[in-house]
Amino acid sequence: MIEVQNVTKYYGNFRALDNISFSVAKGEVLGLLGPNGAGKTTAMRILTCFLPASSGTATVAGFDIFEDSLEVRRRLGYLPETPPLYPEMTVKSYLKFIADIREVPAKMQRERIDKVVVRTALGDHLDRVIGTLSKGFRQRVGLAQALLHDPEVLILDEPTVGLDPNQIIEIRGLIQDLAADHTVILSTHILPEVSMTCKRVVIINEGRIVAVDTVENLEGKSGQATRYKIGLKPASLDWKSAVESVPGTRVEHERVEGELVRFDLCLPPEGGYEGVFKAVVAKGHIFTEITPARASLEEVFLRLTRTEEGASAAERKVAA
Amino acid sequence: MKILAILRKELQTYFYSPAAYIVFASFLLVVGYLFWVVLIASKVANLEPLLYNAAFILLLASPVLTMRLLSEERRTNTIELLLTSPVSPVEVVIGKFLACFVLYLILIVLTFQYPAILHTYAQNLDWGPIISGYIGLILLGAAYIAFGLFASSVTENQVISAMLTFGGLLLFWIVGWTKNVLDNVYGDALSRLSLLERFSEFLKGMVDSGNVVFFLIFTIIWLFVATRVLESDRWR
Repeated sequence: MIEVQNVTKYYGNFRALDNISFSVAKGEVLGLLGPNGAGKTTAMRILTCFLPASSGTATVAGFDIFEDSLEVRRRLGYLPETPPLYPEMTVKSYLKFIADIREVPAKMQRERIDKVVVRTALGDHLDRVIGTLSKGFRQRVGLAQALLHDPEVLILDEPTVGLDPNQIIEIRGLIQDLAADHTVILSTHILPEVSMTCKRVVIINEGRIVAVDTVENLEGKSGQATRYKIGLKPASLDWKSAVESVPGTRVEHERVEGELVRFDLCLPPEGGYEGVFKAVVAKGHIFTEITPARASLEEVFLRLTRTEEGASAAERKVAA
Repeated sequence: MKILAILRKELQTYFYSPAAYIVFASFLLVVGYLFWVVLIASKVANLEPLLYNAAFILLLASPVLTMRLLSEERRTNTIELLLTSPVSPVEVVIGKFLACFVLYLILIVLTFQYPAILHTYAQNLDWGPIISGYIGLILLGAAYIAFGLFASSVTENQVISAMLTFGGLLLFWIVGWTKNVLDNVYGDALSRLSLLERFSEFLKGMVDSGNVVFFLIFTIIWLFVATRVLESDRWR
């Protein structure tokens, strides 16, 4: 549905995006993840035809963002970082205006407006002046604006920023609903949001893609299954020798809780948990807990964005 | 259709805020006062001084009407909404121009009371210069607004936009004065660019096609430049 090919974007000498490529399948929710200033908004602005790429291109629904900008824009719903609202208009007149410029046929406008109003729970606020709405409601009006023409592709720039926890949960629910019949790209620097709403993640740091993968794989990548949290009911005091019988395994953080011992089992990088578990059971010890300590997305994110730190800012500035 | 949507939205915005009402009120107050003063002093049923004064007051008022048009869209980032929706910059510019022009026409129509008053009390009122004067005033308005729209397209600051419009229009208004200083082809050329020189001929009762074309081209050029400025956001 969306193909981004080798997109690079310079602001003057500053390279905001460096050879970015990724693709999004129809009906997929892709998370664009990165620290502030990583280039998420720039990438979205290029996809929405608001900014041109310095080099490279992208297609949305088969249309080139530069050659067929109009066709692309017809198929897009876009919620920028700050919702683009006219504070002096009422919610109703604003949505009517959007319906007009988004080419919603006159006959269908009423139905479409009613639908998004229900979806974004704006029903009681239609006659309010937008300038008097709270941040959360403005965000909803912004979202209503992006959904109004029922676009194939939705691009949401930090859709939950500035909302209270209840509203965040509502908006996430809404995004998951939308995923059924829309292709969604959403950017965020809030990691749990990605695990909750997205299937796949593109991690951007300093204008470069540092990882593209599913949330599960990313969480696994950073040394999954080389670390387990273990609860053990030992049959004898020398349980430790049974655990460490496989070369390279270590016991860390051990502590005794009544008749149980708890510890972290560290396996060598090549794994080998079967051998360890078999040896322990063979000695008559009883496992009460085995939890693979998978790296959280936070850890993956930190690791990936920190390794990039070596690439200094100077390197990104290219001599003119 | 999309031009209409933008036109309607802009008109709504004018009337949601006090700006339009205040411009209307000040304009009518000053024009009414001048009409009275000139009429009492001269005791001549002549609308020429009033139309001249109205043209100059409108030169002062139009920056206030145009300053918001594109600057505010830039400042609040709603420009991002317009340019990522299937609307072309041309449609945006024309829609906004027409909205402001409608407002300008309302102002002009509100001054129809003065020729009506003259008509009631004066015999043999000469309608020719009045009609041609109004045609000039309308063409002049288009030129004012087009230039203001251009000024609004280059900045996100309404004050800068208004000052640029005011300074630019004033310069185009008085550029003809060079005629008295430069007695050569340059002086003549500059005076041909003058809004005042062109407009004065309408006041004298002449609807010269050259002058009509001048105002139309002046309008189209600035609308075109405004469109290009808006589009250039995409190249930068």
